[in-house]
Amino acid sequence: MTIATIKDVEFGEELPVFDPDTSLENVKKFATAAHWFGPRFTDHEAARKEGLPGALVPGIMSQGFLAAMIHRWAPQANVQNVDTVFRAPVVVDEKYHITGVVTDIDEASGRVEIDLTVTNDAGETRVFGTAQVQIPTG
Amino acid sequence: MILDLHSHSIKSDDGRAKVPNYCQWIRAREIPIDGFVLTEHRQFDFESDYSALAKEFGLTILKASEVETEYGHVLVFGVTEALTQTFDFTDIHLPLAQVIEAAERHGAVPVPCHPGRKRVGMSAHLEEYGVPQGVRIVEIYNGGSRGDEDAIAQNMAAEQDYLGIGGSDAHIVSQIGKCATRFPEKITSAAELAEALRGGDFEALNFREQI
Repeated sequence: MTIATIKDVEFGEELPVFDPDTSLENVKKFATAAHWFGPRFTDHEAARKEGLPGALVPGIMSQGFLAAMIHRWAPQANVQNVDTVFRAPVVVDEKYHITGVVTDIDEASGRVEIDLTVTNDAGETRVFGTAQVQIPTG
Repeated sequence: MILDLHSHSIKSDDGRAKVPNYCQWIRAREIPIDGFVLTEHRQFDFESDYSALAKEFGLTILKASEVETEYGHVLVFGVTEALTQTFDFTDIHLPLAQVIEAAERHGAVPVPCHPGRKRVGMSAHLEEYGVPQGVRIVEIYNGGSRGDEDAIAQNMAAEQDYLGIGGSDAHIVSQIGKCATRFPEKITSAAELAEALRGGDFEALNFREQI
């Protein structure tokens, strides 16, 4: 179910889980569009030479995934802020799952706060954060 | 009584959770804890008063601190104003021995947290600095642990004969209560919590699979 107005939103509601495309091909497309040509995002071997576990999904791409997830749930939402804390690298070609849950609602203003978590297949949190989202009031 | 002994609110620089939302979440999701302890980074939060909130939700909300030493991060329970005058809580290079000595002198209890974690956990520094004197309790369940971090903490606790506590290390609302600590008696204040920890009768709990 997608969200149309603030009346559809419940405290504790879980957003549909979103598995982002973190393939090297997709990250290369993003890096090209963003004019980020550093090999740490597009070349596993070059990234390892820098001491990284592999090519990294750019932080702003992860944030883009988070915003995309919110819009899948509430297409009319105005995502005002995505505030993330990166606890561990998000590595290209590894599988991740993004979960979101509503943790604050102001029905009068339509403002909603969402907890966001990026976990890997082992269930380890790589990124967490919150989003402030404006949902139509009616 | 079950308390989550390690959590952060927006008072911490990397905390994103508002305390009322923690309370709302615990009740809405029926998280099996009776309260939580706010362990804000590098400070003690003297100004916040959560007593009305605690009463409204029927929860125990206590305050403590998480400070930083050469052995990594350390929770300090039972912080008093006098203790905060003995060392600089904002210093990220505190000597652990100083923290332990000052805490004990002021009735507080120091507990190295996420000790199995690289850089910020105690086990990562044992080779360089040796086993510290005066540690009695460490955190053996941390809700933010990755990989084998909790196992490293538990092994270290077993080897050194440390007691273990659990805490979620929540920074966002939905992480609260993932790990906690059970005490046989009711605890209503930071001083009682410190006393209960000193008494040594408690059990670390891991709720990550159930909530």
